[in-house]
Amino acid sequence: MALTKTGSQRMVKGIGNGVLALMLLWTAIPFYWMFATSLKHDKEIYGYEATLIPERPTIANYITILQDSPYLLFLRNSTVVAVCSTILSIIIASLGAYAIARLNFPGRALLARLLVCTYLVPGSLLFIPLFALMSALHLLDSLSGLTIVYLGADVPFATWLLMGYFRSVPVELEEAALVDGCNRITALIRVVLPVAMPAIVVVTFFAFTRAWNEFLYAYVFTSTNQAKTITTGLVNFMSADVFYWGPLMASTILSALPPVIMFLLLQRWVVKGLTLGAVKG
Amino acid sequence: MASSATSSIALAPESKTLRARLGKISRFLLRDRQLGYLFLAPALLVILGLVAYPFVGAVFLTFQQKTAGAPGTWIGLANYRELLNNEVFSLTVYNSIFYTVVAVALKFVFGLGMALVLNQERLFNNFYRSFLLIPWAIPTVISALNWRWIYDDASGLINNVLVRFELIDETISWLSDPSLAMFSVIAVVVWQGTPFFTMGFLAGLQSISKELYEAAEIDGASVLQQFRHITLPCLSPIIITVVMLSTILTAAGIQFVLILTNGGPADRTMIFPMLSYAYALGGAQRLGMGATVSLFFFPAFVILIYFLTRRMLQEKGW
Repeated sequence: MALTKTGSQRMVKGIGNGVLALMLLWTAIPFYWMFATSLKHDKEIYGYEATLIPERPTIANYITILQDSPYLLFLRNSTVVAVCSTILSIIIASLGAYAIARLNFPGRALLARLLVCTYLVPGSLLFIPLFALMSALHLLDSLSGLTIVYLGADVPFATWLLMGYFRSVPVELEEAALVDGCNRITALIRVVLPVAMPAIVVVTFFAFTRAWNEFLYAYVFTSTNQAKTITTGLVNFMSADVFYWGPLMASTILSALPPVIMFLLLQRWVVKGLTLGAVKG
Repeated sequence: MASSATSSIALAPESKTLRARLGKISRFLLRDRQLGYLFLAPALLVILGLVAYPFVGAVFLTFQQKTAGAPGTWIGLANYRELLNNEVFSLTVYNSIFYTVVAVALKFVFGLGMALVLNQERLFNNFYRSFLLIPWAIPTVISALNWRWIYDDASGLINNVLVRFELIDETISWLSDPSLAMFSVIAVVVWQGTPFFTMGFLAGLQSISKELYEAAEIDGASVLQQFRHITLPCLSPIIITVVMLSTILTAAGIQFVLILTNGGPADRTMIFPMLSYAYALGGAQRLGMGATVSLFFFPAFVILIYFLTRRMLQEKGW
């Protein structure tokens, strides 16, 4: 009996190792191909001399993308939009979440519900009327316009995450602060926010990567290089045949780095945040 | 409690008027009701302006003929009539359902498998966990671009390898062969979306008490029985939440189809956000038609969002 038990356990472990190996390959191969292509000369990319492993690796593709393309401009635009929308949504969401978690006023349960609902409404249901709205407000093709529409997804999500966290901060801490001469705003800034730092980190990660990775709004609402972000800029490289696959893969590698580095650094908190109800497609 | 505590603070203001003013300010700041609405005003503005208004606006658009920048004309149900008489639309409905169901099912199976494997004790587990989640962290556009190159007819990775090892005589058109295109797109969606399931399920698995398994072992339950009677029931709440979330995001996702196939070949990968986009911004700028396409899918989303909202609020005790 004991023997068969360890036998079946060993079998499960063995299957697990096999499955893991397959999963690692399945995940790694596209990344390998991306990286390998970015280091190849055109000769090794196309035609009968095409290789699987770069024989004479080169960084020429990276130089092309950085020097002969608006890539750096896209990079700047993505950074500006992601940073601004993240900061704004954290400010707006902290206030809103604090109100819902701590203050007593009629309608707050309804507002909590509304927040969750809105954060689940996908962008592809809204982009057409938003396009009409942005066009009427002359906000198309501008970084500020893009920053504003990103708030539509980030604020509800950030508020939802923060209100759960704020509620777990002991009320006594705040009461003590209020007795010591704080008002609600200073109590929020000096007492609640520092305690809620882990949640703020998670919100920062999600808001930033969401804006950095967002495609549909950026694609629809911008038209010139002055306002294009990385995602829409890269797709334009491809569809307009501006660049071939070597430089394009170099630029995808560069563009994937910021979110990946952030993810690896903050992974522990991110996974926790995910179980609190965070998402990305 | 708060107001009485704070209004008694000794501020020692120099003059009477200053004290009165301070009193007014602090009273205003301390009243929950006003402060609550004040704090929530910016968030509410965002929700109303960027979600509620467009949502309602979309409904109005369906009754209009409208291009961007010009006022629309009211045309009643003409958009609906045109759409229902269009063969592409019925194909789109079928494709959308097929695409969503198959992609979510595969993500679920792979995600659960991956989570079970990662939950086993193993050397370097943290490395595997981080690495397998990377497809989720990078921009979806980048996954789509990368896979478009992998599928490339002439020099893509797959054809390159198959030709090199003489497994095929002619290269395969993964994205332009009508019978293959949908599956090629779904493979990319699954590659990108599986880690999200893995993360959710792994968190769920780790919260299951080890004692349950120990007790089952003593009772002589097999590995499969343990999975069937402990793992699955304990995991089911998180399964439902993750599947509903992913269904919303998969069904509404446009970037894979837009970048890989643009809805082709012969509309074989045309799903509703793509059709909506094609009508509204694919040249003719028929915003009304685009909104009408989306509207047909509103009910499905509303139902999903309603149930998911209830679950999420209940789970967190709101």
